[in-house]
Amino acid sequence: MMRTLVIIPALNEEETLRGVIHGIRKFLPPADILVVNDGSTDSTAAIAKEEKVLILDHPYNMGIGATMQTGFLYALSAGYDIVIQIDGDGQHNPESLPLLVEPIAEGGSNLVIGSRYLSGGGFKSTFLRKIGIRFFMSIVWVFTGKRVTDPTSGFRAMDRKAFEFFSGEYPSDYPEVEVLISAHKKGLLFQEIPTMMRHRQGGTSSIGILSAFYYMLKVTLSISVGFFRRMR
Amino acid sequence: MTTPGLNPLAVIGSILLLLIILELIRRRYLRERYALIWILSGFLFLLLSMRTDFLDRISGFLGFTVPANALFFFGILFLILIVMGLSVITSRLAEKNKVLTQEVVLLKNRVADLEKSHQPENPTP
Repeated sequence: MMRTLVIIPALNEEETLRGVIHGIRKFLPPADILVVNDGSTDSTAAIAKEEKVLILDHPYNMGIGATMQTGFLYALSAGYDIVIQIDGDGQHNPESLPLLVEPIAEGGSNLVIGSRYLSGGGFKSTFLRKIGIRFFMSIVWVFTGKRVTDPTSGFRAMDRKAFEFFSGEYPSDYPEVEVLISAHKKGLLFQEIPTMMRHRQGGTSSIGILSAFYYMLKVTLSISVGFFRRMR
Repeated sequence: MTTPGLNPLAVIGSILLLLIILELIRRRYLRERYALIWILSGFLFLLLSMRTDFLDRISGFLGFTVPANALFFFGILFLILIVMGLSVITSRLAEKNKVLTQEVVLLKNRVADLEKSHQPENPTP
């Protein structure tokens, strides 16, 4: 029996969190659910408590990277076999959860990414987002030789080998693209599957125009310097 | 005065600065977030040392009699901004450190209470 933990990194998701939790319970009933509350100032923590899911509270906001890492550390110490990462804003459709886990359970991949853009996903994007995705796609292609259509997707499943590695080393901001390269260097196998995604149901995107520029610059710098880094 | 010029010593210095920054990131002594400003300034130094006439033109435009004074002026201005930024960052870290310490103290207290109410039958020394 594979023990599965679904991690929801949450920052002010009071409008959508309940729906996400119900969706997970419906489509992946045996999994445990962990909300890592990254210093929310709304009722996110109270909702998680009401729903009786596992909850870890950051005393202040630490960013998505540290939030996921907290979850990985918990999964490791609690002895889970599979970890799933899903956003708390409702844009990831929980119907895709069984598909996301399948390649992990069968042992074909260490990391599975749910893609909005692989055929079957059918997601309409803005022009700016398309450029960003294209840019990150080429970076991943250059450093790993793999075609990943949705490298910034935060809808992922991974096995113990992967989250054990990430629990020791995970970038603090904008981690999604970077960890694909470090995972590849570590010898972890990853693949994409098409998933349906909805536009966010509440809250605001964590990425504006200026930070989109910083996102690209930071990831490029970090990946190209990291390329000359020895693996720990 | 305004002939395009290259200062070899300054070019070497700027490249050295850039290399040091990259090495610091590689060794994880410097987070990318804070490294970006240094990399940008490294490139600015490189540009100024490859085209010394830029500095002459800027100082002429702003009315400095000696171009070196323009360099000092902007250099000190830049350093003041950096130091202010660092003060803000340290203040934020100090606040977080305080919150964290309070959290630990409260947790210690809760653990002690729990231990008291959950006295094991054979207490281990």
